Amino acid sequence: MNINHKDGLKLNKMEKKFLRKQSKARHVLLKHEGIQAVSYPTQSLVVANGGLGNGVSRKQLLLALEKCGPMEALLMPPSKPYAFVVFKTIEESKKAYAALNGKEIIDDLGQKIILYLNFVEKAQWKKLGLQALPPGLLVVEEIISSEDEKMLLESVNWTGDTDNQNFQKSLKHRRVKHFGYEFHYENNTVDKDKPLPGGLPDICNSILEKWLKEGYIKHKPDQLTINQYEPGHGIPAHIDTHSAFEDEIISLSLGSVLIVMDFKHPEGVTVQVMLPRRSLLVMTGESRYLWTHGITPRKFDTVQASEQFKGGIITSDIGDLTLSKRGIRTSFTFRKVRHVPCNCSYTSVCDRQRKATSPCLPESSKEAWQLEREHVHRVYDLIARHFSSTRHSPWPRIVEFLKALPSGSIVADIGCGNGKYLGINKELYMIGCDRSQNLVDICRERQFQALVCDALSVPFRSGCFDACISIAVIHHFSTVERRVAALQELTRLLRPGGQALIYVWAMEQEYKNQKSSYLRGSKTSHEDKKEINSDTSTEELLENQMPDGGSEDLASSVPSTVNIKEEGCKPRKVELPVHTNRTCFHSQDVLVPWHLKGNPGKDKAVEPFGLAGCPDPSPVFHRYYHVFCDGELEASCQALGDVSILKSYYDQGNWCVVLQKV
Amino acid sequence: MRSVRSFRFRPRELPSGNMKLLTHNLLSSHVRGVGTRGFPLRLQATEVRINPVEFNPDFVARMIPKVEWAALVQAADTLNLAEVPKEPTEGYEHDETFLRKMHHVLLEVDVLEGTLQCPESGRLFPISRGIPNMLLNDEETET
Repeated sequence: MNINHKDGLKLNKMEKKFLRKQSKARHVLLKHEGIQAVSYPTQSLVVANGGLGNGVSRKQLLLALEKCGPMEALLMPPSKPYAFVVFKTIEESKKAYAALNGKEIIDDLGQKIILYLNFVEKAQWKKLGLQALPPGLLVVEEIISSEDEKMLLESVNWTGDTDNQNFQKSLKHRRVKHFGYEFHYENNTVDKDKPLPGGLPDICNSILEKWLKEGYIKHKPDQLTINQYEPGHGIPAHIDTHSAFEDEIISLSLGSVLIVMDFKHPEGVTVQVMLPRRSLLVMTGESRYLWTHGITPRKFDTVQASEQFKGGIITSDIGDLTLSKRGIRTSFTFRKVRHVPCNCSYTSVCDRQRKATSPCLPESSKEAWQLEREHVHRVYDLIARHFSSTRHSPWPRIVEFLKALPSGSIVADIGCGNGKYLGINKELYMIGCDRSQNLVDICRERQFQALVCDALSVPFRSGCFDACISIAVIHHFSTVERRVAALQELTRLLRPGGQALIYVWAMEQEYKNQKSSYLRGSKTSHEDKKEINSDTSTEELLENQMPDGGSEDLASSVPSTVNIKEEGCKPRKVELPVHTNRTCFHSQDVLVPWHLKGNPGKDKAVEPFGLAGCPDPSPVFHRYYHVFCDGELEASCQALGDVSILKSYYDQGNWCVVLQKV
Repeated sequence: MRSVRSFRFRPRELPSGNMKLLTHNLLSSHVRGVGTRGFPLRLQATEVRINPVEFNPDFVARMIPKVEWAALVQAADTLNLAEVPKEPTEGYEHDETFLRKMHHVLLEVDVLEGTLQCPESGRLFPISRGIPNMLLNDEETET
């Protein structure tokens, strides 16, 4: 009796524990997955702890369940710690409940797992992305019928029609066709003044009218881009150019299976949105203007559903649900061309509003030092370490100049940077000056005499230096007056007979039929640039449907044109173009990108020229340069009066002069 | 050499690019309008270090003609260094004692922390971690 009593107690304890756990499983399933368990028997069961996400394989579960009777469906959502099983009859499902609830199985790691079963009304769970769709985003499922889908797909004439303006060569990852207006991939915009003849296809017009009436869309689009993606094709993350298109952008997904589109917020949040077949994606507001969207080139997407899966409907196909194989997907993206300037509140990613504040050539000394402060001083301070690491090889002709100086000479290096030349000749007393505290710090670490000052106002007494050098400095001054003033300071420091060596970046990067090492991209190139920007081929440029000044790569691969009288800029102001690294200069006044590598962790307030001003792990900075033409440096020196030019030459993409104070 | 008790002495470290008196001798205030009256900058040091540098008599000899003596004497005095000759002696190029003294004063005294003051305008420029910061602010540079 005693033993029985004891056993009874034991069982109760275990029972109680088990019930608690089962209840907890129910609670978790409801709270986190939206799965509602019911207390009465149904055909469907949820098997907690029996999922792919916790190491239980389909095979295992099948083995356990088969004995209970024929199943209608076994759904195992990937990465989830549960599965659904649906039986033909409630009887069978009750059998399964009795047999498996509390049963111990071994997972793929050999660990013991206990299954907790509960009855559910439907084999349904929260869909991907539904919890937190980007604001303004809507996915309308089954917006057109299969017949209409067939009609639309068949209406697209991909072959032939080479004289048809709508036809576009196949891009790297996909085929495209435009209607209404042609989309230009070089600058990601349309030519508003040149509509394509024919407008949108009639079949589309009637569908659009329908959607307007039904309230799915608010505006009638006038531009259509048809994209066809084969498995493995994708589209890089981008925001559709603000200035090209109005707010509402809609995209109809046809053809295969469901695909996953990645939406990314500048602060890093990523939402994966499932686009089932025959669904319409509507992007407005924040989702259109601020979030980027893209499709990763993949052959399979990890989705929760099979090809036949729709919503919470149970299918009879017990296929493999872990991976969704991509088929050919065709998208019809409808947009309305914008004719009025974009005035959205997402200014950091708005190409129209950014243009208004983009740097222009200065027209006063105040504007000049403001430009230099923003695009020379601030940048060098931020990139100092990285910059220094790329400046290690002294240029031979400069070394030659320094070594030729008599022992005991006092020499100033104006704009010494990281002190590359301060230790070349130990027989000299060299003092370095630079505008950047961070660079001067590096000089000090290297045991060189250095101080922080401005090259326009060097704090030394006049006429006491035997020699000066100014290497790659004067081209950072943004007006001719300031450049001459810098040269004036150099000569002021010299004693009579003293010499100055000046190097500035040349406009002509190809001289006497020889490309400079900057263009060739060799290690000993003009600025020893270790990092190479994207060597984008034209094909890749076409492929990347990216906004102006968007990602890091784009900033250097698509030079924005010099716009005079650009709306937003004051009249007559010349906007500074962004130069493409390792190419020829097209303008004397440019912004040259610097891609910061290494750990910018210390720089808290780094505001790179990146997408939406977000903490980009690899920011780009723009440095201002005025590159010199042949003879320009000489002419500036001649204007000084108390100097004579001893030498004038071209060295690896630089114009160079040796002056002597008379 | 007299002891320099008024300054905080650091243990001998690896040499680094702190401001030397030869450099100070070349510095001049560039505050607008002061011109030559901006020299010499009045040195105040709160942290000084003696940093041995290899003696090169020829090198020192070549520096001598470039030195502004009054300024050097003044600076050395502020730092309580041993008496510096008020001018080079006759035949100094071969006077090793003299040269060694000058070598020490010009090249071996490191100023780590302190200020440089414009004698005409009173404007102070900081020396921090051995680096003088001679930048004028935006209002001062605006023409």
